[in-house]
Amino acid sequence: MENTGQDIILSIKNVCKSFPGVKALDQVSLEVRRGTVHGIVGENGAGKSTLMKILSGVYQKDSGTIIFDGEDIKSTTPIQSMKRGLSIIYQELNLVNTMSVGENIFLGRFGEMGGMRGVHAKAKELLKSIGSNIDTYKLVSELSVSEKQMVEIAKALSFDSKLIIMDEPSSSLTADEMKELVKIIHHLKDQGISIIYISHKLDEIFEFCSMVTVMRDGHVIDTKPITEITRAEMIAKMVGRPIENEYPERPDCVGETLMEVRSINTKKLHNISFKLRKGEILGFVGLVGAGRTEIVRAIFGADKVKGHEILIDGKPVKIKNPRDAKKAGIALVPEDRKLQGLVLPFTVESNISMANLDKITRFGFLDSSAERGMAEKHVKALGIKTPSVKTKVRSLSGGNQQKCIVGRWMETNPRILILDEPTRGIDVGAKYEIYLLMKKIAESGGSIILISSELPEVLNMSNRVLTICDGRITGEFDPKTASADQIMEKALEFGRKDLEHERAN
Amino acid sequence: MKNINIGKKLLNIATKQKAVLAIIVILVIMVFSKTNFYTAYNLFDMIKSVSILMILAFGVTLVLVAGGCDLSIGGIMVVSGIVTIKLMNANIPMWISILAALLVGAIVGAINGYLVVYQGTEPFIITLGMGMMLTGIAQQLTDAHPIPCNNPNFVKLANDKLFNIIPNLVIVMIAVFFIIHYILRYTSFGRNCYAIGGDYEVAKYSGINVLPTKAMTFVICGITAALGGVMLSSMLNSGSSTYGDTTALVVNCGVVVGGTSFAGGIGSAPQSAIGLLVFGVLQNSMNMLGIDAYVQQIIQGIVIVAIICLDCYGRKRKRETV
Amino acid sequence: MAERIWNMKEQINFKNVIQTVFRDYLVLAAIALLVIITSIVEPKFLTTGNMTNIMRQFGPLIMVALGMTFVIIGGFIDLSVSGILSLVAVVTISLIEPLGQVGALIVGICLGTFCGYLNSVLILASGAMKQAEALFITYGMSTVYGALALIYSGGRTKQMSLVKANTSIYKTIGTGTVGILSVSFIMFLVCLLLLYIFQNKTYMGRTIYLTGGNKTAAELAGIHIRRSITLIYTISGLMTALGAIVLFSRVTAASPVIGKGYETNAILAVVVGGTTLIGGNGSVLRTVLGTTLVILLSNCLNLLGVSVYMQYMMKGAILVLAIWLDSRKQL
Repeated sequence: MENTGQDIILSIKNVCKSFPGVKALDQVSLEVRRGTVHGIVGENGAGKSTLMKILSGVYQKDSGTIIFDGEDIKSTTPIQSMKRGLSIIYQELNLVNTMSVGENIFLGRFGEMGGMRGVHAKAKELLKSIGSNIDTYKLVSELSVSEKQMVEIAKALSFDSKLIIMDEPSSSLTADEMKELVKIIHHLKDQGISIIYISHKLDEIFEFCSMVTVMRDGHVIDTKPITEITRAEMIAKMVGRPIENEYPERPDCVGETLMEVRSINTKKLHNISFKLRKGEILGFVGLVGAGRTEIVRAIFGADKVKGHEILIDGKPVKIKNPRDAKKAGIALVPEDRKLQGLVLPFTVESNISMANLDKITRFGFLDSSAERGMAEKHVKALGIKTPSVKTKVRSLSGGNQQKCIVGRWMETNPRILILDEPTRGIDVGAKYEIYLLMKKIAESGGSIILISSELPEVLNMSNRVLTICDGRITGEFDPKTASADQIMEKALEFGRKDLEHERAN
Repeated sequence: MKNINIGKKLLNIATKQKAVLAIIVILVIMVFSKTNFYTAYNLFDMIKSVSILMILAFGVTLVLVAGGCDLSIGGIMVVSGIVTIKLMNANIPMWISILAALLVGAIVGAINGYLVVYQGTEPFIITLGMGMMLTGIAQQLTDAHPIPCNNPNFVKLANDKLFNIIPNLVIVMIAVFFIIHYILRYTSFGRNCYAIGGDYEVAKYSGINVLPTKAMTFVICGITAALGGVMLSSMLNSGSSTYGDTTALVVNCGVVVGGTSFAGGIGSAPQSAIGLLVFGVLQNSMNMLGIDAYVQQIIQGIVIVAIICLDCYGRKRKRETV
Repeated sequence: MAERIWNMKEQINFKNVIQTVFRDYLVLAAIALLVIITSIVEPKFLTTGNMTNIMRQFGPLIMVALGMTFVIIGGFIDLSVSGILSLVAVVTISLIEPLGQVGALIVGICLGTFCGYLNSVLILASGAMKQAEALFITYGMSTVYGALALIYSGGRTKQMSLVKANTSIYKTIGTGTVGILSVSFIMFLVCLLLLYIFQNKTYMGRTIYLTGGNKTAAELAGIHIRRSITLIYTISGLMTALGAIVLFSRVTAASPVIGKGYETNAILAVVVGGTTLIGGNGSVLRTVLGTTLVILLSNCLNLLGVSVYMQYMMKGAILVLAIWLDSRKQL
């Protein structure tokens, strides 16, 4: 055992972490060997990022032990773990945009490095060692995403890292840039540095990882050498779970076309066109940042987008802002409940009535009993657990908060309801109630666009699924006949050819 | 089509280099004005007239770069100026009086820093209140009348001229400029300020002691404001409570005009100097042209509004690009 | 069952109750304390003469502060009230003779309202969505309005020319009384009633709260936040114009810098009353409490012979203290 201890750089045992209402990590155990690339795969929300944030010291673990390089780490801060030799390259890059490349690499260590000249000289050296010749005086805000990643790697190396964690490094890289990254990963491995590589993209995992761990719902499902697992097994482990009782029976009452969206084009979205039918639940599947939210924001008039066409009942409608969208019968339950959905310090009542103030207004005056009645109707209908409608919405649980937003939009009698991550951070019971609600809406003739990072949710609730990748619609499936693997593959597909084509132009 | 492009480019230049642009426009107008604008005497006079504001502006730059804001500098300025004179009139040596005034500035800055950084209050209004309080103290100390200075050497401090042409005040201003420029550019404290203002969380996770560093910027700003006050008293040879009213807002606007952002993380001493110079050049040329004092005030107000609006508009466009 | 227990818990949470009382009624306690102490130390305080005096002082500031309340609830700030106040005062007072009393009144009110509206146009056009940005823009506008007042008046104080001295509206506003209440105080009560109803019972009032509470969420719920922003600044301009009229009626003259200090005093009154600078909460009633405290304090300090400058200092100190307490509340 002692011998293998020398060989193991990082050992995690029974680590747990809870957030209010959610158990993010449950008894997670993991070992990483020196000088290897260890892949971690899992869907969004599987707990990968939480685990990494605990390792780096952004979060503190609730229980369990972490041993890094023979040292038992009880609690740590990001800078301490970096100095120990554990660096992390985050999904959302951790650089100060307003500062130069060189200074970002040695952020907070300006004095130790011998001033501006020393910083830039050493930064240049480090960047050269990973084959990059970015001008160290350039501002980070002027760099491309892949260049920023190089800077992050250089920063990790500047600490003499023994272990570098890469959290979805490839999510915004082009094919060529990806090749560069692979080269660097091999180079680091040769120097004896271990790498934890987190990704959705199974191709990459098979290309250069020697071990792979599959995570799901805060658990480690399996850890295996890459040679002993097939692609199909891996996907099954990622998505597979007993789902019989989690979802109500899928509604099936699809009618004729209700809305047609034609050619939305922005910096991020490319030629988005699709149709939505009456009584249909249309699921959008794709990675976070693939453009799912941007599509619905464009439809809803939340972002200023020009040149696209929206037809409802075959007639073109102009939607310049959310007010127009509301008039056209569209409702949006936004992605970020707290920032975009609710006015947290306000009551349940006023959060429900806020999209329907015109209904309870007589000659400019609000009818407070009508408002109360409206709120109570939805509290009852949706089963919102609250002491009274006068309770501040802040003190409600996540699921009940979400239902308040749904209630708000139900009152507008929307013909099209857009749900962006409606079940994020909500417990299982509340999720089921939201599914029931969706079913009810569909059965009464409403149409729903469902965006979710939880594949099973989309597969079990939708009548039709569109996969979205890199701002494009890459496929259309019937979830009753298509398998999860097929859909995942399309959603993870790289639009490489298109990208290269675009670059050439 | 081409016209639109040129328009866009011009707008880009206007939003980025608005201070330099404004100065050039005024300087060109003054070439044709047939006044004594382009004489060495006037140019130094002009710089002298904005020197005090510039001294304050360099301190403010440090605070803004680290993501704070200080509107109490006007109050600090008048209080410390009066303190210097009061102490000297009590027969305390000049240098000790000046040091005491600087200490006052440092203490007020420390209080600001504590309230804003450690207690997490909104800096704009709390420093506004602090400035109001200090102005009240200044009025109380002087009974709202200028108090003359008994020490005959004090007036020389700001008004004597090196080589009979460069006022001492300008030299002090240049010295402060270099000190703040050095701090911001070449010390780890200064670089950490940029990191804190640029991205507070990243700075924190990089092991920078964010709280003391940010609080320290307020202390330094307090000291520079106090120094400005000492120089003001010396220039006028008296202590007065009436000068601080609009100073804070003018200086902050000037710094923003120079290109420092309220959002933090961007800015430098030279930029601030240029920003304040806009106001100096504007004021001086309006004087030269014999423009009515009230009209000058309108023009200055419009310039401030225009520049801040342009600044906001630039950010709005950035926000809305999808 | 569980719900009921939760309910009861909320009712009997003693600590919570004390906290709420402490937070919400601190101003009331301070006012009571001030009244008691001053009336013991200085018997002149409780005389009718002094009470009338207090009511008259109350007039201009409360008008400006009521307008400011809307701006702060909407999540913004307005430093231009001092400039608007000066401008409206000098313009209105000089127009009494040429346009007649009513004509001057209408022009004055329209002018103030327009100035407020202009602020909102600039803020919306430049996309200034942060309080700090609005602070600088309205400060700049304040110097513009102030300078216009100086130019218009030539820098001189304008005396009120009473056409028919006995029936003048302005004289009535300035010194008239109905029973024990001064006319300006009755004006305030009417404004308060209207604004209270507007704020709490109308559609537009609600949209202002929602805008201040969460701009993004309000916009995504289909609320016209640009209209709310226009409205708050316009109300502020209107109320400032009324404040200007009450003020120059009392002193029967208007200097072009008559409004100086009103912006900080109004913000002080609003914040001391308990309306938070973050936006989305507060009420005109709270501002009445805040203004009462500020005015009473000046009055007490005057009676006690504390200098004006010392009072100015204390106001600054209270502002700092109030904001500090305000930020503690949000923790």
